[in-house]
Amino acid sequence: MNKLKKYDVIDTHNHLSADSTMKLDRADAEWRIKAADLLGIDKLCVSIPLTAPCPSPDEFIRANDAIVEGMRMNSRFLGFCFVNPGYQAEALREMERCIVKEKMAGIKLYHQYLICDPVMKPLMTLAAELGVPVLMHAGKCTDSETLKSQPLLSNAMHFLKAAEMFPETTLIQGHIGGGGDWEWNLRVLEQRPPNVYIDTSGSVIDRGIVRKTIDALGIDHVLFATDGIFEEGVGKVIDAGLSEGEYRKLLRNNFQRILAMRKV
Amino acid sequence: MLFDINTAIGHWPFRKLPDNDASALRQLLESHKITMAAVANINGIFYKNTQDANLELAVELAPHRDFFIGVATLNPVYAAWERDLEYCVRTLGFKGIRLLPQYHNYPVFSPEAINIATAAAQLGIPVLIPQIIVDKRQKHWMDVETFVDVNELGRLCRKVPQARFILTEYRIQGSLTDEDGKPLYPNLYIEISRLRSAYMQDLAKLAETLGSDHLLFGSGAPFKEVSPAILKMQCADLSAQKKAQINGLNAQSLFSL
Repeated sequence: MNKLKKYDVIDTHNHLSADSTMKLDRADAEWRIKAADLLGIDKLCVSIPLTAPCPSPDEFIRANDAIVEGMRMNSRFLGFCFVNPGYQAEALREMERCIVKEKMAGIKLYHQYLICDPVMKPLMTLAAELGVPVLMHAGKCTDSETLKSQPLLSNAMHFLKAAEMFPETTLIQGHIGGGGDWEWNLRVLEQRPPNVYIDTSGSVIDRGIVRKTIDALGIDHVLFATDGIFEEGVGKVIDAGLSEGEYRKLLRNNFQRILAMRKV
Repeated sequence: MLFDINTAIGHWPFRKLPDNDASALRQLLESHKITMAAVANINGIFYKNTQDANLELAVELAPHRDFFIGVATLNPVYAAWERDLEYCVRTLGFKGIRLLPQYHNYPVFSPEAINIATAAAQLGIPVLIPQIIVDKRQKHWMDVETFVDVNELGRLCRKVPQARFILTEYRIQGSLTDEDGKPLYPNLYIEISRLRSAYMQDLAKLAETLGSDHLLFGSGAPFKEVSPAILKMQCADLSAQKKAQINGLNAQSLFSL
């Protein structure tokens, strides 16, 4: 069961939870550590993205405060700072606070704006200056419910455009298995934009999904993650038929390379 | 023993499936130390006359009867399903039937479903019903995006109490228990491949609530990777005895093996 433990695995896309007052749900955090222990995961990159159309600065600051509490609770949690790009000045201040003062590892964006929206430019510029990655919730969903509820969900075509708009910023397209037509996303990203990575997380465990992701983007641009869906996240990697070298890159070294770009 | 109750062969028209013939599927499952499997034919989802898919399945399974048991795909709103059911069980030796109301376009709680479930009970075989086939968020433009409503299935379970139903691909949509946490449907069995395990221990909690005799190991191969389901069982906080039930003893009993 702990087949991956020897690789000091970093789960590059996971979450913590907060209650209605935005206090950290410590029991949930403990569940995630227990699951990580059972499945051989060392560190977990965590954020609390707010899914409303326009979360306020007060709301995203409190969500990030809960992440700071989680990081203090257990050093295996690496924080990601969530902001709403629509509040530009507040978002930039919050990024500075979370990355410089609170030592978070990256920025997390949800579906408030497309990743290639011009509103992103100041955030992307600051992320590049700080040397931290931007991870975004993403997918190419084709069902009517998701199309209606997430009209600004970014897909690989948006990432391709963003890669040209923000060439100095490290972009991570979230969860290839997070729902949606993953084959479509891979056919787009096989163009291999140099600053785009993709993570393997999500509940979709279609046979071959991890192998095909690596074949499309190249092993250096794929990051291991579970998005809190633990057995699926680990199991589909085990079944991908990876070489020892591919395991090391996917499970830890690729993300360590991204962390080493940090400038502050 | 590891008995996979949720596998398939055949062609899925919306994505290329690897290992979708009996020999390749068996090799895949055995590489995961699975010792037996129940298998249905994907083509039965799409053929109007599903019996052709069942005949195909019988031919495919002939060299692998020591490993696979056949599950007939039947459509109770199509002609001659009664004769097809009899033939699949008595002549082809199939051990269960699979219903697909969302694809064959009838309500899960309907006179037709009641009739075929009653007939299956008389033959002593279980009725498998997938809640979904694939995640609807990636649906092909010609695929459906509906799923089997557990409450409607529950009505069917109550209407035909002598039948045994197996809900595959169940993903916690619709309650299986009453307000006091007691099981609502004693004749409903759950396949585990979409339950959370290490995080929150949903699988173990469901085994406590419904009884470990009401859960069944399944992988969803070849649509899905196999290791996730195996990890779910390994991570479940359950005794070895209860895991043995879920991993195979319950299936042996339900399929009368």
